[in-house]
Amino acid sequence: MKTHSLSALRATLPALLALGLASIVACGSAAVPQELMDARAAYANAAKGPAAELAPAQLDTAKTSLDVAQKSFDSDGPSQKTKDLAYVAERRAEIAAAEGSREKAERKRAAADKDFKSTQMEGLEKTKEQLDAERRAREAANQDVNKTKAELAAEKAARAEAEKRAAAALASLQEIAKVKEESRGVVITLSGSVLFATGKSDLLPIAKEKLDQVAKALVSQGFKAIVVQGYTDSRGSAADNQTLSLKRAQSVRDYLTTQQIPADKITAEGLGASKPVASNDSPEGRAENRRVEIVVTPDKG
Amino acid sequence: MPQDSLTAAQADVKGAEVGGAADNPKAALHLKLAKDQIEEAQKQIKDGDNEAAARTLDRAQADAELALSLAKEAKAQADAADANDQVGKLRKEIAK
Repeated sequence: MKTHSLSALRATLPALLALGLASIVACGSAAVPQELMDARAAYANAAKGPAAELAPAQLDTAKTSLDVAQKSFDSDGPSQKTKDLAYVAERRAEIAAAEGSREKAERKRAAADKDFKSTQMEGLEKTKEQLDAERRAREAANQDVNKTKAELAAEKAARAEAEKRAAAALASLQEIAKVKEESRGVVITLSGSVLFATGKSDLLPIAKEKLDQVAKALVSQGFKAIVVQGYTDSRGSAADNQTLSLKRAQSVRDYLTTQQIPADKITAEGLGASKPVASNDSPEGRAENRRVEIVVTPDKG
Repeated sequence: MPQDSLTAAQADVKGAEVGGAADNPKAALHLKLAKDQIEEAQKQIKDGDNEAAARTLDRAQADAELALSLAKEAKAQADAADANDQVGKLRKEIAK
């Protein structure tokens, strides 16, 4: 058995050696055909591109194709078959590269489409915000208009209220004094006997009450200027009458300034017996002539 | 057997043409190579060299497939660039 197997080995050894040598010679001597070099380069190029990740099946096919070409070269050398296989392998590698690039481009495009949509939404949002801002501005403007309307209405109401108060004041004034509208202004006539004791220029307590009402009416109605004119009847000397009438007018004026009538708007005059309003021949007439007239220049008109 | 390969290669050429291979220079080149090789294979079949014809048809098919891939890749690239442009234009429009 032992001898037999040894001799068998001896017989096969040269053959094995010869085979090994042959393949070494084939590999070492035969030049790698251009097609195979191109295929290797194409595969290397594809493998380092996007195909590795995005077209792995195609890259795998290319690798298999290259291996087949390589094997053919290993066994047959640079035969036409090897060249043809290498030619196909190169195309397979290029196909893998193209598919990888295509996939990459398609992903880019999908991302851009998504971006487009979100940008569109952004644009819509922006337009909506602009419209909202415009609407708010319009509402604010409307509010201003409403406010102005309200202010005008309030002003109108206030004016009506003031006129009503003035009318009421005038009515109450008419109860205590004669009120007449003349060209020189509104003339409020107060009887001298109500205001003063005979021959005196100090105001009676009852006079103050009346003047309070007059002052109230004047303040509420408003005025530009006031002249207080004192008058007497015709008895006594003109000089005495003039003095008395002036003192009485001043008393009235001074008292009115304590009742919110500004001092710079009110003056006093003594006119004595001039301008009687009734006959001095009767006691009633003389009583009418003894008077104080408050001449009011109205505020407007 | 070569007849089947011939039919397959011709179908691939057709597919590449439909896929727009003629519109892209590199794809057009491979399309032409595929057609030329189909013609060569037909001669080889006529001459009775079926083995050579089969290999030529393999080459033709590889070129036709590559032509289609290149055409599709070019279209995808153009579409991506286009989509990018659209986004840019829209952004500008909104920024106004």
